[in-house]
Amino acid sequence: MGVVLRNLQKVVPVRRARLRKDVDTLRHILGIQKFDLGIICVDNHRIQQINNIYRKKNTPTDVLSFPFYEDIRPGKLPCPLHRDELNLGDIFLGVQFVMEQCQEESLDLHGALTVITAHGICHLLGYRHETEEEWAEMLQRESYILSEYNKLTGKHLEPLMKKCGQDR
Amino acid sequence: MLKSVVRAVGAAVRISSSTTSTARAVPLACATLCSPSSATIRPFTRSLWMLNNNGASSTYRPKLFSSKALNPSVSCGCGGLHTEGDKAFGDFLSDEIKEEKKLQKSQTLPKMSGGWELEMNGTEAKLTRNVSGEKVSVTFNVNNSIPPNFEEEVEQGQQKPAEEEPEIVSTPNFVVEITKKAAKHSLVFDCHFPEDEISHGDGEEESDIFTIREVSFQPEGDSEWKETSYTLNTDSLDWALYDHLMDYLADRGVDNTFADELMELSTALEHQEYIKFLEDLQGFVKCN
Repeated sequence: MGVVLRNLQKVVPVRRARLRKDVDTLRHILGIQKFDLGIICVDNHRIQQINNIYRKKNTPTDVLSFPFYEDIRPGKLPCPLHRDELNLGDIFLGVQFVMEQCQEESLDLHGALTVITAHGICHLLGYRHETEEEWAEMLQRESYILSEYNKLTGKHLEPLMKKCGQDR
Repeated sequence: MLKSVVRAVGAAVRISSSTTSTARAVPLACATLCSPSSATIRPFTRSLWMLNNNGASSTYRPKLFSSKALNPSVSCGCGGLHTEGDKAFGDFLSDEIKEEKKLQKSQTLPKMSGGWELEMNGTEAKLTRNVSGEKVSVTFNVNNSIPPNFEEEVEQGQQKPAEEEPEIVSTPNFVVEITKKAAKHSLVFDCHFPEDEISHGDGEEESDIFTIREVSFQPEGDSEWKETSYTLNTDSLDWALYDHLMDYLADRGVDNTFADELMELSTALEHQEYIKFLEDLQGFVKCN
């Protein structure tokens, strides 16, 4: 089925084709093309609601991941038995939150969305950043993904975790 | 844990593939096609004021088998039949009209941002806008544009307080027609508001605000959908192509903000037409 893209908000003019292309490039780099993935673009209000329900944090944020496989070892791809299980889960992108940050730092919105999606996909693949070790492991993976992405596209994207180590 | 969007979409595709729209300017609401019981779900009157004892109808109790009911008790010389029932009906309608006018938020219609011009033909609305050499028009009909309330069906038997009555929102299918000066045919998009977005409202709906159902080239300005033109159905479409089509519409002012404003406009228009209908009905029944 591939990437299911949903745009549930009207604050940010998201370019769907661009976002899909970027997500497809990330999937190609990670070798996860056979897995389904949900990308849902939401505004501050909605991501705050979800953040509050699932993480008890009543603030908007940039990304929330909901893995289909909750207990896989980082970097090990799941081995599903059925077609239904060829699914990594859903990533909610707080596009309004990301846009506001981009405006502050004069960054390209879609570049930032790619970085944030890469972070979200790492979570779906079992990476965490609750301990120092986990953080280093995840940063390494994100750096690899984005350096490959930069090679393919000529962009200069940097991992999200270089800037902040807070959990998402 | 949220339900997976991927799985939800699989189900949505199955549902949507069972309906096709043939009319161009007057697309039927999917809700009406899918639900045979929709006519009974939507009540004739919309407010719950009738439950109060102050309503005009509470003073009139029709007697079954009463011969009086067959004889006209009021005469206005028009030659038509006038019964006690007609009088009660007229009184009921005048109270209903008063209530509905109270509910009307504003006499003026909500504005569409982006320089759209509105033109009405009965219950059909047409929004037009020119974008550097291209003409974009959006047509929708307020008839059959209110989806049935599924939640009420599910919660049958549970008494809900009157204040919690859900707000009526009109979500018509709409047809976007893009015309280029040099081209013979217009590019036409049949767009829908997905049902689950509207009817659940539990904060976990995961559909786009609006979706493209079909795309086709049609002779410019024709109101009938030409069945012999190839029609691209988006149910089984390459999603990258679908995203490009959505971006194409967004560049021409048909995006989520537009869809949201269209919903507000259509709701106001539908309410206006409903009140007009009640007034016509009152006039017909009363025969002044």
